[in-house]
Amino acid sequence: MKPSHNQDEKLFEYLDGTLTGVEKDALEQLLQASPELRFRLEALRKVDAQLRLVRIEHPSKNFTQKVMSRLEQYPGKSLTLRNGILLLVGVLVAVGIGSILVASGVFDGTASIDLNQTLSNKYIQKPLPTFNFNGKLMMNIIIMVNLALAFIVLDRTILKPWFERRRMSA
Amino acid sequence: MTDEYLLIDKILGGEQQLYAELVNRYKSYTYTIALKILENRPEAEEVAQDAFIKAFNSLKGFNRESKFSTWLYRIAFNTAISYKRKRKASYQSIENTIVEYDQGEDALERSDKKKYLALAMDKLNEADRLALNLFYLQEFSLEEIADITGMQANTVKVRVHRARQRLADELKLLLQKEALTL
Repeated sequence: MKPSHNQDEKLFEYLDGTLTGVEKDALEQLLQASPELRFRLEALRKVDAQLRLVRIEHPSKNFTQKVMSRLEQYPGKSLTLRNGILLLVGVLVAVGIGSILVASGVFDGTASIDLNQTLSNKYIQKPLPTFNFNGKLMMNIIIMVNLALAFIVLDRTILKPWFERRRMSA
Repeated sequence: MTDEYLLIDKILGGEQQLYAELVNRYKSYTYTIALKILENRPEAEEVAQDAFIKAFNSLKGFNRESKFSTWLYRIAFNTAISYKRKRKASYQSIENTIVEYDQGEDALERSDKKKYLALAMDKLNEADRLALNLFYLQEFSLEEIADITGMQANTVKVRVHRARQRLADELKLLLQKEALTL
Protein backbone atom coordinates (compact mmCIF):
# COMPACT_ATOMS: atom_id res chain seq x y z
CA MET A 1 0.00 0.00 0.00
CA LYS A 2 1.43 3.35 -1.07
CA PRO A 3 1.41 6.02 1.72
CA SER A 4 -0.89 8.97 1.03
CA HIS A 5 -0.62 12.52 2.38
CA ASN A 6 -3.40 11.74 4.86
CA GLN A 7 -1.35 8.84 6.11
CA ASP A 8 1.64 11.18 6.45
CA GLU A 9 -0.47 13.27 8.79
CA LYS A 10 -1.27 10.24 10.89
CA LEU A 11 2.38 9.19 10.86
CA PHE A 12 3.47 12.63 12.12
CA GLU A 13 0.80 12.53 14.81
CA TYR A 14 2.16 9.08 15.74
CA LEU A 15 5.65 10.56 16.01
CA ASP A 16 4.31 13.55 18.01
CA GLY A 17 2.53 11.12 20.33
CA THR A 18 -0.83 12.81 19.78
CA LEU A 19 -2.80 9.81 18.49
CA THR A 20 -5.45 8.24 20.71
CA GLY A 21 -4.94 4.64 21.86
CA VAL A 22 -7.37 3.28 19.25
CA GLU A 23 -5.80 5.31 16.42
CA LYS A 24 -2.33 4.23 17.49
CA ASP A 25 -3.30 0.53 17.51
CA ALA A 26 -4.92 0.86 14.08
CA LEU A 27 -1.84 2.57 12.66
CA GLU A 28 0.53 0.00 14.15
CA GLN A 29 -1.51 -2.77 12.50
CA LEU A 30 -1.24 -0.95 9.17
CA LEU A 31 2.51 -0.54 9.70
CA GLN A 32 2.91 -4.25 10.29
CA ALA A 33 1.08 -5.00 7.06
CA SER A 34 2.79 -2.41 4.84
CA PRO A 35 6.57 -2.24 4.26
CA GLU A 36 6.07 0.98 2.23
CA LEU A 37 4.33 2.64 5.16
CA ARG A 38 7.15 1.50 7.48
CA PHE A 39 9.69 2.95 5.05
CA ARG A 40 7.79 6.25 4.97
CA LEU A 41 7.60 6.31 8.77
CA GLU A 42 11.38 5.91 8.91
CA ALA A 43 11.86 8.81 6.46
CA LEU A 44 9.53 11.03 8.49
CA ARG A 45 11.18 9.95 11.74
CA LYS A 46 14.54 11.12 10.34
CA VAL A 47 13.04 14.50 9.41
CA ASP A 48 11.47 14.74 12.86
CA ALA A 49 14.78 13.87 14.56
CA GLN A 50 16.63 16.52 12.56
CA LEU A 51 14.01 19.15 13.29
CA ARG A 52 14.37 18.44 16.98
CA LEU A 53 17.89 19.80 16.62
CA VAL A 54 16.32 23.25 16.11
CA ARG A 55 17.49 25.10 19.17
CA ILE A 56 17.04 28.37 20.90
CA GLU A 57 19.54 31.08 19.97
CA HIS A 58 21.04 33.60 22.37
CA PRO A 59 21.67 37.29 21.67
CA SER A 60 24.86 39.12 22.68
CA LYS A 61 25.86 39.16 26.37
CA ASN A 62 25.11 42.86 26.83
CA PHE A 63 21.72 42.67 25.10
CA THR A 64 19.73 43.67 28.20
CA GLN A 65 22.08 46.58 28.88
CA LYS A 66 21.64 47.80 25.31
CA VAL A 67 17.85 47.70 25.57
CA MET A 68 17.86 49.49 28.92
CA SER A 69 20.24 52.20 27.72
CA ARG A 70 18.08 52.74 24.62
CA LEU A 71 15.07 53.10 26.91
CA GLU A 72 16.88 55.74 28.94
CA GLN A 73 18.06 57.56 25.82
CA TYR A 74 14.64 57.62 24.20
CA PRO A 75 12.05 57.55 26.95
CA GLY A 76 8.47 56.95 25.87
CA LYS A 77 6.93 60.13 24.60
CA SER A 78 3.34 59.00 24.80
CA LEU A 79 0.93 61.06 26.89
CA THR A 80 -0.75 59.41 29.84
CA LEU A 81 -4.52 59.22 29.56
CA ARG A 82 -5.04 61.70 32.42
CA ASN A 83 -2.61 64.28 31.03
CA GLY A 84 -3.99 63.80 27.54
CA ILE A 85 -7.56 64.41 28.66
CA LEU A 86 -6.48 67.51 30.64
CA LEU A 87 -4.63 68.86 27.60
CA LEU A 88 -7.62 68.13 25.37
CA VAL A 89 -10.01 69.93 27.74
CA GLY A 90 -7.61 72.89 27.98
CA VAL A 91 -7.31 73.19 24.21
CA LEU A 92 -11.09 72.94 23.72
CA VAL A 93 -11.73 75.58 26.41
CA ALA A 94 -9.21 77.90 24.69
CA VAL A 95 -10.93 77.29 21.32
CA GLY A 96 -14.34 78.00 22.89
CA ILE A 97 -13.21 81.25 24.53
CA GLY A 98 -11.46 82.34 21.33
CA SER A 99 -14.59 81.66 19.25
CA ILE A 100 -16.81 83.61 21.67
CA LEU A 101 -14.44 86.58 21.58
CA VAL A 102 -14.25 86.51 17.77
CA ALA A 103 -18.06 86.32 17.54
CA SER A 104 -18.47 89.26 19.92
CA GLY A 105 -16.30 91.43 17.67
CA VAL A 106 -13.37 91.95 20.04
CA PHE A 107 -10.91 91.23 17.24
CA ASP A 108 -12.68 93.11 14.45
CA GLY A 109 -10.13 95.94 14.34
CA THR A 110 -6.85 96.01 12.41
CA ALA A 111 -3.55 96.70 14.10
CA SER A 112 -0.51 97.96 12.22
CA ILE A 113 3.18 98.21 13.03
CA ASP A 114 5.07 101.06 11.40
CA LEU A 115 8.77 100.15 11.64
CA ASN A 116 9.79 103.70 10.55
CA GLN A 117 8.26 105.12 13.74
CA THR A 118 9.43 102.29 15.98
CA LEU A 119 13.10 102.41 15.04
CA SER A 120 15.30 105.47 15.34
CA ASN A 121 16.02 107.34 12.06
CA LYS A 122 19.78 106.98 12.37
CA TYR A 123 19.51 103.19 11.80
CA ILE A 124 17.22 103.49 8.77
CA GLN A 125 18.63 104.21 5.33
CA LYS A 126 15.51 103.34 3.27
CA PRO A 127 11.86 103.63 4.36
CA LEU A 128 10.64 100.32 5.92
CA PRO A 129 7.24 98.71 5.18
CA THR A 130 4.26 98.94 7.51
CA PHE A 131 2.69 95.64 8.66
CA ASN A 132 -1.08 95.42 9.06
CA PHE A 133 -2.63 92.70 11.25
CA ASN A 134 -6.22 91.62 10.90
CA GLY A 135 -7.17 90.51 14.42
CA LYS A 136 -10.08 88.32 13.29
CA LEU A 137 -7.93 86.47 10.74
CA MET A 138 -5.15 85.92 13.30
CA MET A 139 -7.60 84.55 15.86
CA ASN A 140 -9.22 82.25 13.28
CA ILE A 141 -5.77 80.81 12.43
CA ILE A 142 -5.00 80.28 16.13
CA ILE A 143 -8.38 78.56 16.62
CA MET A 144 -7.75 76.26 13.61
CA VAL A 145 -4.27 75.34 14.92
CA ASN A 146 -5.78 74.55 18.33
CA LEU A 147 -8.47 72.40 16.75
CA ALA A 148 -5.83 70.44 14.83
CA LEU A 149 -3.88 70.01 18.11
CA ALA A 150 -7.09 68.81 19.82
CA PHE A 151 -7.58 66.16 17.11
CA ILE A 152 -3.97 64.96 17.51
CA VAL A 153 -4.32 64.72 21.30
CA LEU A 154 -7.66 62.90 20.93
CA ASP A 155 -6.07 60.42 18.54
CA ARG A 156 -2.91 59.79 20.60
CA THR A 157 -4.49 59.51 24.04
CA ILE A 158 -7.93 58.06 23.44
CA LEU A 159 -8.58 56.68 19.95
CA LYS A 160 -5.24 54.97 19.24
CA PRO A 161 -5.02 53.13 22.61
CA TRP A 162 -8.69 52.16 22.30
CA PHE A 163 -8.26 50.67 18.82
CA GLU A 164 -5.01 49.00 19.95
CA ARG A 165 -6.85 47.35 22.86
CA ARG A 166 -9.61 46.21 20.50
CA ARG A 167 -7.07 44.78 18.05
CA MET A 168 -5.23 42.94 20.81
CA SER A 169 -8.43 41.50 22.25
CA ALA A 170 -9.57 40.40 18.78
CA MET B 1 1.78 34.85 35.78
CA THR B 2 0.52 36.95 38.74
CA ASP B 3 4.13 37.60 39.67
CA GLU B 4 4.72 38.83 36.14
CA TYR B 5 1.64 41.08 36.24
CA LEU B 6 2.90 42.59 39.52
CA LEU B 7 6.21 43.27 37.85
CA ILE B 8 4.43 44.95 34.92
CA ASP B 9 2.37 47.05 37.36
CA LYS B 10 5.57 48.24 39.05
CA ILE B 11 7.13 49.11 35.68
CA LEU B 12 4.00 51.04 34.71
CA GLY B 13 4.17 52.73 38.10
CA GLY B 14 7.53 54.22 37.15
CA GLU B 15 10.10 51.58 38.15
CA GLN B 16 11.55 51.40 34.66
CA GLN B 17 14.71 49.55 35.74
CA LEU B 18 12.60 46.45 36.52
CA TYR B 19 11.98 46.03 32.81
CA ALA B 20 15.48 44.52 32.64
CA GLU B 21 14.03 41.46 34.39
CA LEU B 22 11.49 40.93 31.60
CA VAL B 23 14.18 41.51 28.97
CA ASN B 24 16.41 38.88 30.60
CA ARG B 25 13.53 36.43 30.84
CA TYR B 26 12.44 36.61 27.20
CA LYS B 27 15.44 37.86 25.22
CA SER B 28 16.50 34.48 23.85
CA TYR B 29 13.14 33.48 22.38
CA THR B 30 12.56 37.01 21.06
CA TYR B 31 15.97 36.91 19.40
CA THR B 32 15.36 33.40 18.05
CA ILE B 33 12.07 34.44 16.43
CA ALA B 34 13.75 37.44 14.80
CA LEU B 35 16.67 35.29 13.68
CA LYS B 36 14.44 32.62 12.14
CA ILE B 37 12.75 35.31 10.05
CA LEU B 38 15.77 37.46 9.14
CA GLU B 39 18.51 34.79 9.06
CA ASN B 40 21.07 37.42 9.97
CA ARG B 41 22.43 37.80 13.49
CA PRO B 42 23.12 41.57 13.73
CA GLU B 43 19.74 42.36 12.16
CA ALA B 44 17.98 39.91 14.47
CA GLU B 45 19.67 41.54 17.47
CA GLU B 46 18.56 45.00 16.37
CA VAL B 47 15.00 43.83 15.68
CA ALA B 48 14.81 42.03 19.04
CA GLN B 49 15.90 45.23 20.79
CA ASP B 50 13.33 47.23 18.81
CA ALA B 51 10.66 44.73 19.84
CA PHE B 52 11.50 45.22 23.53
CA ILE B 53 11.44 49.02 23.14
CA LYS B 54 8.08 48.87 21.33
CA ALA B 55 6.70 46.52 23.99
CA PHE B 56 7.84 48.90 26.73
CA ASN B 57 6.22 51.89 25.03
CA SER B 58 2.96 49.95 24.53
CA LEU B 59 2.97 48.25 27.92
CA LYS B 60 -0.11 50.24 28.96
CA GLY B 61 -1.98 48.68 26.04
CA PHE B 62 -1.15 45.10 27.10
CA ASN B 63 -4.59 43.81 28.05
CA ARG B 64 -3.39 40.69 29.94
CA GLU B 65 -5.74 38.38 28.07
CA SER B 66 -2.75 36.50 26.71
CA LYS B 67 0.63 35.79 28.29
CA PHE B 68 3.08 38.70 28.25
CA SER B 69 5.53 36.49 26.37
CA THR B 70 3.01 35.70 23.60
CA TRP B 71 2.22 39.43 23.25
CA LEU B 72 5.93 40.28 23.14
CA TYR B 73 6.73 37.54 20.59
CA ARG B 74 3.91 38.84 18.41
CA ILE B 75 5.51 42.29 18.47
CA ALA B 76 8.88 40.70 17.63
CA PHE B 77 7.31 38.70 14.79
CA ASN B 78 5.63 41.78 13.28
CA THR B 79 8.76 43.93 13.73
CA ALA B 80 10.92 41.30 12.01
CA ILE B 81 8.45 40.87 9.15
CA SER B 82 8.28 44.64 8.50
CA TYR B 83 12.07 44.94 8.82
CA LYS B 84 12.47 42.19 6.24
CA ARG B 85 10.05 43.93 3.87
CA LYS B 86 11.90 47.21 4.22
CA ARG B 87 15.32 45.66 3.81
CA LYS B 88 16.74 47.02 0.61
CA ALA B 89 19.96 45.07 0.32
CA SER B 90 19.22 41.66 -1.11
CA TYR B 91 22.48 40.07 -0.06
CA GLN B 92 23.94 39.00 3.25
CA SER B 93 27.56 39.52 4.14
CA ILE B 94 29.51 36.33 4.68
CA GLU B 95 30.50 37.09 8.26
CA ASN B 96 26.88 37.63 9.27
CA THR B 97 25.42 34.55 7.65
CA ILE B 98 24.61 31.77 10.07
CA VAL B 99 27.40 29.23 9.83
CA GLU B 100 27.85 26.66 12.55
CA TYR B 101 30.81 24.42 13.08
CA ASP B 102 30.57 21.10 14.83
CA GLN B 103 33.35 19.33 16.63
CA GLY B 104 33.66 15.71 17.70
CA GLU B 105 33.47 12.28 16.16
CA ASP B 106 30.12 12.71 14.35
CA ALA B 107 30.88 16.25 13.28
CA LEU B 108 30.91 15.51 9.55
CA GLU B 109 27.72 13.50 9.67
CA ARG B 110 25.92 16.08 11.79
CA SER B 111 27.20 18.88 9.59
CA ASP B 112 25.89 17.03 6.49
CA LYS B 113 22.51 16.51 8.10
CA LYS B 114 22.30 20.17 9.01
CA LYS B 115 23.35 21.17 5.51
CA TYR B 116 20.62 19.06 3.90
CA LEU B 117 18.07 20.22 6.43
CA ALA B 118 19.00 23.87 5.76
CA LEU B 119 18.77 23.30 2.00
CA ALA B 120 15.40 21.64 2.33
CA MET B 121 14.18 24.36 4.72
CA ASP B 122 15.13 26.98 2.12
CA LYS B 123 12.62 25.42 -0.25
CA LEU B 124 9.76 26.10 2.15
CA ASN B 125 7.84 29.35 2.10
CA GLU B 126 8.50 31.79 4.93
CA ALA B 127 5.31 31.22 6.92
CA ASP B 128 5.65 27.42 6.76
CA ARG B 129 9.31 27.62 7.80
CA LEU B 130 8.59 29.86 10.76
CA ALA B 131 5.63 27.78 11.92
CA LEU B 132 7.84 24.69 11.76
CA ASN B 133 10.71 26.37 13.64
CA LEU B 134 8.44 27.63 16.41
CA PHE B 135 6.73 24.24 16.67
CA TYR B 136 10.08 22.48 17.14
CA LEU B 137 11.38 25.01 19.65
CA GLN B 138 9.09 23.06 22.01
CA GLU B 139 8.19 26.21 23.89
CA PHE B 140 5.06 27.02 21.93
CA SER B 141 1.70 25.32 21.59
CA LEU B 142 -0.14 25.53 18.27
CA GLU B 143 -2.45 28.15 19.84
CA GLU B 144 0.51 30.29 20.91
CA ILE B 145 2.11 30.04 17.47
CA ALA B 146 -1.25 31.13 16.06
CA ASP B 147 -1.33 34.11 18.44
CA ILE B 148 2.21 35.14 17.58
CA THR B 149 1.84 34.86 13.83
CA GLY B 150 -1.76 36.09 13.64
CA MET B 151 -2.94 32.84 12.01
CA GLN B 152 -5.68 30.43 13.06
CA ALA B 153 -4.52 27.45 15.13
CA ASN B 154 -5.83 25.10 12.44
CA THR B 155 -3.87 26.97 9.78
CA VAL B 156 -0.71 26.61 11.86
CA LYS B 157 -1.36 22.88 12.24
CA VAL B 158 -1.83 22.52 8.48
CA ARG B 159 1.31 24.58 7.79
CA VAL B 160 3.44 22.55 10.19
CA HIS B 161 2.16 19.32 8.70
CA ARG B 162 2.61 20.51 5.12
CA ALA B 163 6.09 21.84 5.88
CA ARG B 164 7.24 18.55 7.41
CA GLN B 165 5.84 16.65 4.47
CA ARG B 166 7.60 18.92 1.98
CA LEU B 167 10.76 18.70 4.01
CA ALA B 168 10.69 14.91 3.86
CA ASP B 169 10.14 15.02 0.09
CA GLU B 170 12.85 17.66 -0.44
CA LEU B 171 15.34 15.72 1.66
CA LYS B 172 14.60 12.59 -0.32
CA LEU B 173 15.21 14.47 -3.58
CA LEU B 174 18.41 16.11 -2.30
CA LEU B 175 19.82 12.80 -1.11
CA GLN B 176 18.94 11.15 -4.43
CA LYS B 177 20.75 13.95 -6.31
CA GLU B 178 23.73 13.62 -4.00
CA ALA B 179 23.85 9.85 -4.57
CA LEU B 180 23.82 10.39 -8.34
CA THR B 181 26.81 12.75 -8.21
CA LEU B 182 28.94 10.29 -6.20
